[in-house]
Amino acid sequence: MNTAFLRDERLADLLVKQTTEGLTPVEKDELDRLLVRQQKADPELIERVAAALSLAGNLGEEELPAGLRQRVEADGRRLVASSRATVTDIRSRRGEDRSTSTHASQWAWLAVAASLVVAVLGWWPRLRDTMAPESAPELAVNQQPEPAAEPTRELTAAEKRLTLLAKGETIVQSAWSATGDPAAPGVTGDVVWDNGSQTGYLRFSGLTPNDPSKSQYQLWIFDATRDDRYPIDGGVFDVPAGQTEVIVPIQAKLDVKSPAMFAVTIEKPGGVVVSGREHIVALAKVAAG
Amino acid sequence: MSESVLKRIARGDERAVTDCIDEFGNLIWALARRLSRTRADAEDAVQEIFTDLWRSAGRFDPAQGSEKVFITTIARRRLIDRMRRSAHQPGGEPVEILDAVGWAEPGTRGEICVEAERAARAVASLRPEQKKVLELGILQGLSHSEIAALTGMPLGTVKTNMRRGLIQVRELMDVVVEDAAGGVQP
Repeated sequence: MNTAFLRDERLADLLVKQTTEGLTPVEKDELDRLLVRQQKADPELIERVAAALSLAGNLGEEELPAGLRQRVEADGRRLVASSRATVTDIRSRRGEDRSTSTHASQWAWLAVAASLVVAVLGWWPRLRDTMAPESAPELAVNQQPEPAAEPTRELTAAEKRLTLLAKGETIVQSAWSATGDPAAPGVTGDVVWDNGSQTGYLRFSGLTPNDPSKSQYQLWIFDATRDDRYPIDGGVFDVPAGQTEVIVPIQAKLDVKSPAMFAVTIEKPGGVVVSGREHIVALAKVAAG
Repeated sequence: MSESVLKRIARGDERAVTDCIDEFGNLIWALARRLSRTRADAEDAVQEIFTDLWRSAGRFDPAQGSEKVFITTIARRRLIDRMRRSAHQPGGEPVEILDAVGWAEPGTRGEICVEAERAARAVASLRPEQKKVLELGILQGLSHSEIAALTGMPLGTVKTNMRRGLIQVRELMDVVVEDAAGGVQP
């Protein structure tokens, strides 16, 4: 096992802190940059050492409570049984989305949105009023798989995000604030957006993993040049379990001219054209100027 | 050799769910109890850990270590994430005090997995202050600041001992493997 990368004290410090008490978003960014430079680094090595050490301790012999075991087993059987069908279903749905959205989706979206003005009137302004001040962000894991992943080494979403951030002053970066929704009680992370290339990434930790057969997260982008009642659909995404940080590419369905706020809701699988108001899980307000 | 329970889960074998809980349920519960504030927190954590496990079973690579280490890594990651989130929330229920957990004697962990035995042997050879910092941080889940407050060590010293201790354990685990291959017990 090559551990030469641990001679970089800062990299080692960050990997240790990640393993023992977690990283702040700033530290996570720094770690990502260091890992990009250290292509041979094993980012999970310290975690595996800590796991082996955990197993070297006297943990006690208390048994998993029976009621909890039953719940875990029922959930597990359901999830495992549905996993393959779910993956197939989502892939085919995404294919349909792509094929049907090519020509008509933008206008259709606007038309449907306009017809539902009454339904949404008052929702988004209310959101702005209730949004908490930006909290100190924290980090999260990955990952919505990049579309059309290549068999050759392609930059990961985390690396693309860092590349975008490196463009500097023109980049919008804003931290998520929780709304109190139970799906994201301690959501942290940030949005990175570049108007010039119309690309961006969402980074989260603390979003509850979703079952894509039941619901998906959906991003909405508020543009200062547009009516607040008609935010731009930023695409749907999933939060897989087992990862601490999720990094998701933004897929804005319309040109974003002046992003003012980003919002994430929980919607039915495939997303919606106009959101209801039931589950608003995270908000990121863009600082003026 | 029988197929890994995680591989069976990854290909959709529902019976592997029961087998996995039989084999690892008590371990995950023990980890959750140690790294959660309350029993109720631990119960929530266990459900989240198993959900993570069902979804990430396909990522298990035996070349990287045993199933126990893979599962413990996933469990620790989720528990650390929950601890970090709860640290940002004011108030909450009082922390339940459990008996302090310490290191097992080398030679007693082999039945758990080979990495546990190697780690037990490696940690036994550390300096006392490194051993203590790893015990408080890894086994008991204390933050660096909490360790500093408890031991009286400066925070920087705690961090250095933690970093050097973990790296040293990693290196010593390799030495144990090499010695074992040469027929010499460490």
